[in-house]
Amino acid sequence: MKKMRIDAYITEYARKTPQNIALEEGKNSITYGCLDKDVSIIASPLMDFRHCRFAILAESGILYVKLLMAVYRSANIAIPLPIEFPKFSLELILDAANVTNIITTNTQYSRFGESFFEHFKTVIVVSNDSSLKTLRKSIETEFNNPKLRLVMYTSGTTGTPKGAMLSDINLVANAESIIEILGINSNDKAALVISPHHAFGNSIINSHIMAGGSVSIGSMNFVNSVFNLVGSGVSIFYGVPSTYRILLRYPDRFEEAFINVRTAASAGGGMDKGIVKEILRLAPNLKILPMYGQTEATARLAYIPTEDVDKFIDTIGKAIPGVTLDVFDSECRPVEPNITGELVARGDNIMLGYLDDDIATHKKIIDGWLYTGDLAQKLPDGYIRLLGRKDDLIKIGDHRVNPREIERHLEENNKVSKVFVVPVSHELMGTAISLLVIPTEETKVDELFAFCRKSLPGYLCPREILLIDHLPLSENGKISNRSIIEEYKHVKASV
Amino acid sequence: MEQIKNVIVDYLKANSFMDKNTQLDDTDSLTQNGIIDSIGLLELMDYISEKYSIEIPEEMLTPENFDSLQGITNMINRLAK
Repeated sequence: MKKMRIDAYITEYARKTPQNIALEEGKNSITYGCLDKDVSIIASPLMDFRHCRFAILAESGILYVKLLMAVYRSANIAIPLPIEFPKFSLELILDAANVTNIITTNTQYSRFGESFFEHFKTVIVVSNDSSLKTLRKSIETEFNNPKLRLVMYTSGTTGTPKGAMLSDINLVANAESIIEILGINSNDKAALVISPHHAFGNSIINSHIMAGGSVSIGSMNFVNSVFNLVGSGVSIFYGVPSTYRILLRYPDRFEEAFINVRTAASAGGGMDKGIVKEILRLAPNLKILPMYGQTEATARLAYIPTEDVDKFIDTIGKAIPGVTLDVFDSECRPVEPNITGELVARGDNIMLGYLDDDIATHKKIIDGWLYTGDLAQKLPDGYIRLLGRKDDLIKIGDHRVNPREIERHLEENNKVSKVFVVPVSHELMGTAISLLVIPTEETKVDELFAFCRKSLPGYLCPREILLIDHLPLSENGKISNRSIIEEYKHVKASV
Repeated sequence: MEQIKNVIVDYLKANSFMDKNTQLDDTDSLTQNGIIDSIGLLELMDYISEKYSIEIPEEMLTPENFDSLQGITNMINRLAK
């Protein structure tokens, strides 16, 4: 059972353990036997497409997994859309993905409305009971990388989104590594409360299905529901650091819900000592397993083994099985321990490239090595410590955000002279943004706030907008995060 | 009752994805319509607690109480008594 498509594992378990639960969502659940049948039903109208791109517009839940697996089963290419993004960002992704077919749920079809679907040549709408309506169908010939199975968009909320092209081998290889480091087996039940449309959530589905276990799907919206979900027999909980920060606001419920959970895994940002300490205070037997990765590496690249969490929490740990990590200098040569360079990775999980973007691909993958863009040092014991982004990307919640792109977006659409994005600390997300703005005579702070709310996702809405009258330049005359933060501190101190 | 609802609508218009011209029915889902997310909900909760001087126990953080204008208004009325 190796190097298969992910959906083939569902068929395999439908034969071996048809009565085992594959997915749960609230009071609903579905066995491997039924899931396999439903996936085939939804795949049937897709079977006469020949390796074509399909956008998937579906809310998190059992139905999303069915749609994704149906696209796999029909040997087409899945492009899941992150539905928590505003319409405007989704349209950017759709433009970049050059996709003419879409499969969606009844819920999203009525939410987005007919006009959103107008320019698609194929539109298939699926109900919760897996019944299908094919509104239009047109099979066009497409020329895609023959290995391409899934395109995951990295958090491009403004600017041009980049689609990481992943193959069946990428997906299976990364899921196998995750199964190994977490010791996942068929008795395990995973809690999936983060978005399945991004790399982390997607990897949870893949690894637990490949192990023949189950995934309980919820969301972080309602804390009470999350604790109930965790308490319903979950053995492995997954979250980004902000997930844990939110749950830790309710220590009594945390203690009670996590008492029988074996492992709390994290990714999408570093866990700090404070979070780890608080989790272990409330659930002393819980194994904490921080992981590190990128969409371009399918999901995971490194992890900190549980026994080392205490000592090495400020590192990303070591490579997962099947992955080689190294740190290179600017001439692509490995550096000695304790010298800063760029973290690079190779393995079967490294993406095929960016969709329809050879230039970006050749910058990101050189001689088979993925250049992560993260500055890093090798420690003498083989562990790796990160030292920030090579460029100035900042991490907000679990989204990677380019402040320069947001600045450009705001400047182009508002009556302002200059905008600077300042990362500021936020109790729950870790980081949020504030804006420093050089105004024109027509600048209105209210209008700027309103524009941000309308055109940026909630996590990017500025905490504050401060007006300034000159450029924050660093010593070498360039604008950088550092110079902007300096200026921000200066402005705050003078208020 | 109407007054509480207006306070919430004003808050959502000022602090969420909600547009000035969005028409929101009392029972429409705030999360499914993309008006608010998990962080936004926590901030809304802090706002309500302060504004109405109430404490919201965590077992009340459910879709019934928080996912619609109707639910939020009813919850505030119950707790403010």
